Amino acid sequence: MNAKHVLKLSILGLCGMATLAFAPGLISSASAHGERSQEPFLRMRTVNWYDTQWVGKSTAINDIAYLKGSFHLSEDWPRAVVKPERTFLNVGSPSSVFVRLSSKMNGTPMFNSGPLEIGRDYTYEVKLKARLPGHHHIHPMLAVERAGPVAGPGGWMDITGRYEDFVNPVKTLTGETFDSETMGSMTGIMWHVFWIAIGIFWVGWFAIRPMYLVRARVLAAYGDEILLDPIDRKVGTAVLIFTLVVVLVGYLAAEGRHPVSVPLQAGETKIKPLPIKPNPFSVEVTHAEYDVPGRALRLVLHATNNGTEPVSIGEFTTAGIRFLNKTGQQRNLDPEYPAELVAQEGLTSDHDGPINPGETVDIHIESKDVLWEVQRLVDILHDPDQRFAGLLMSFTESGDRLINSISAPVIPVFTKLGM
Amino acid sequence: MFRTDEIIKASKLPPEGVAMSRHIDYIYFVPILFVTIVGTFHMHTALLCGDWDFWIDWKDRQWWPIVTPITTITFCAALQYYNWVNYRQPFGATLCILALGFGKWVAVYTSWWWWSNYPPNFVMPATLIPSALVLDIVLLLTRNWTLTAVIGAWMYAALFYPSNWPIFAYSHTPLVVDGALLSWADYMGFMYVRTGTPEYIRMIEVGSLRTFGGHSTMISAFFAAFASSLTYILWWQFGKFFCTSYFYLTDDRQRTTKVHDVFAYATLAHGDKAKLSGGKA
Repeated sequence: MNAKHVLKLSILGLCGMATLAFAPGLISSASAHGERSQEPFLRMRTVNWYDTQWVGKSTAINDIAYLKGSFHLSEDWPRAVVKPERTFLNVGSPSSVFVRLSSKMNGTPMFNSGPLEIGRDYTYEVKLKARLPGHHHIHPMLAVERAGPVAGPGGWMDITGRYEDFVNPVKTLTGETFDSETMGSMTGIMWHVFWIAIGIFWVGWFAIRPMYLVRARVLAAYGDEILLDPIDRKVGTAVLIFTLVVVLVGYLAAEGRHPVSVPLQAGETKIKPLPIKPNPFSVEVTHAEYDVPGRALRLVLHATNNGTEPVSIGEFTTAGIRFLNKTGQQRNLDPEYPAELVAQEGLTSDHDGPINPGETVDIHIESKDVLWEVQRLVDILHDPDQRFAGLLMSFTESGDRLINSISAPVIPVFTKLGM
Repeated sequence: MFRTDEIIKASKLPPEGVAMSRHIDYIYFVPILFVTIVGTFHMHTALLCGDWDFWIDWKDRQWWPIVTPITTITFCAALQYYNWVNYRQPFGATLCILALGFGKWVAVYTSWWWWSNYPPNFVMPATLIPSALVLDIVLLLTRNWTLTAVIGAWMYAALFYPSNWPIFAYSHTPLVVDGALLSWADYMGFMYVRTGTPEYIRMIEVGSLRTFGGHSTMISAFFAAFASSLTYILWWQFGKFFCTSYFYLTDDRQRTTKVHDVFAYATLAHGDKAKLSGGKA
């Protein structure tokens, strides 16, 4: 090893040490769940979340909070994704920072999974109890069997207090009260410690004597007659009988202590979708293009107002991201909705004013914001099936909200010249 | 009380050799053998019956008592071969399960509690020590691995459910939430959010065994016993395959022979050993 080699190694070593020294300052804790890494076709064309609310954005330990909202299962469900024949409404959270006390979809409790219908709407409400203090990013999530979880929009919820104060007593049908944090822990640990002690005794019984090398030599030279000590057989028989008796007594004692039991419940939750609300406003997408340098989805809509009131378009939402105009801001923007998911003036149109009853128009609308890039929805251009889907929200003058599920193939526009 | 002196005498090792063998016992037994089993066996069970063992709401009447014994008797059988055939030590299965339990409890407190904040009762592992003790003792008493495969392996699986019932019986207590009947285990699984483990992932209470009504546990245990017996035989042979040593012996006419019986080495005459050391390998 010459001096040059030593110098190289020293420099490398110093670089490594410097990296280690500075690493703690560079590391920050993860604050989300990788929802942006899900492919756009999965986020835009499966579950269209809307009206999501995080009720109780700041709670103390043991306080109740709610996660509620609605979703529409897109008619444009991708071919690559398994249909929602078995789904489960879940919560995307960093571990169980809340315990989930109940979960209802369209008013029906959803403890088990169940099928949902494409093209229909569902409301949900999840009742949560604050458990672990911290600043947590919480998503509604619909898990679809063989397709995976589809995360809804994420919002921050704060929990204050001390975990040690958390209690969660629940009354059973037998009249007992179980605390979910502690019930059964000591009994289980006691039984484990007991059996571990017996197991250590059994192995220790042989470990206190020469174990391997000596016995291998004797076995090779003389066979096993010397090695099979009669006292081992006696102790073995005693341990065997003791084990069987303890198992039997333990089983019978547990049966006596908990005489009423039911099997784990493995049923299926049947949930009726919300009734289809009459919608006098019909919308068809005749052209859609995504302007890559402009970060804008431009749509040409063929819209007809078959109702009796003028209708104004106010919002386009997809993948939990909301693009609004002034109408949308006034009529449909919950100020508590995470600002990082909203483009407040991201929706523009070439049609001034509302669409009057009986009127049919071709409207150009544009949802434009850096959110397309930030939320990685621009990756739609790398999808094997370049389509978009989302919800178009319009409003009548009397305050009704009309929701149209829209979808279409997307043509990418890579340069300004393509505009 | 023990035949230790007689055994040491028969080994023909000098006192310092005996002392050294005990050092080798300790170094090999705890830091090498035990830790190796912890790593390999724990990973094996995590992959093959992990969820049934991790979560309280997977411990059903049907699949839990089938999957767990069948997948855990594997290493027990292989280590029994190693310990019994080479040393006549009847603690291979118990050692395996103790090592597995050590790995599980490390996981309960590091992965599940410290890292993921799940309470221990939600991720309480099952115990297999009574089953392993019986498996070892049957081998000791019968001195026959075929009988152990028939009697011991059957008891290994059959004892699994009753020996765990004292730990988990409470979790089958019924309760009603929002008008729905649940077991306590179901509700625990519902309350403690697992973002990546939706309810439909659970492989519980599915299959035609339910046609036996309330007796599905007995049927499951019977099937598990039968399958454990076959698994035991297979893994005993794995143990044999991986623990079989051989050497080459060169005779006076310079013919080299492959000898599988390693015990023969100790009984070889001095001259044979001398040839062996200079023989071709």
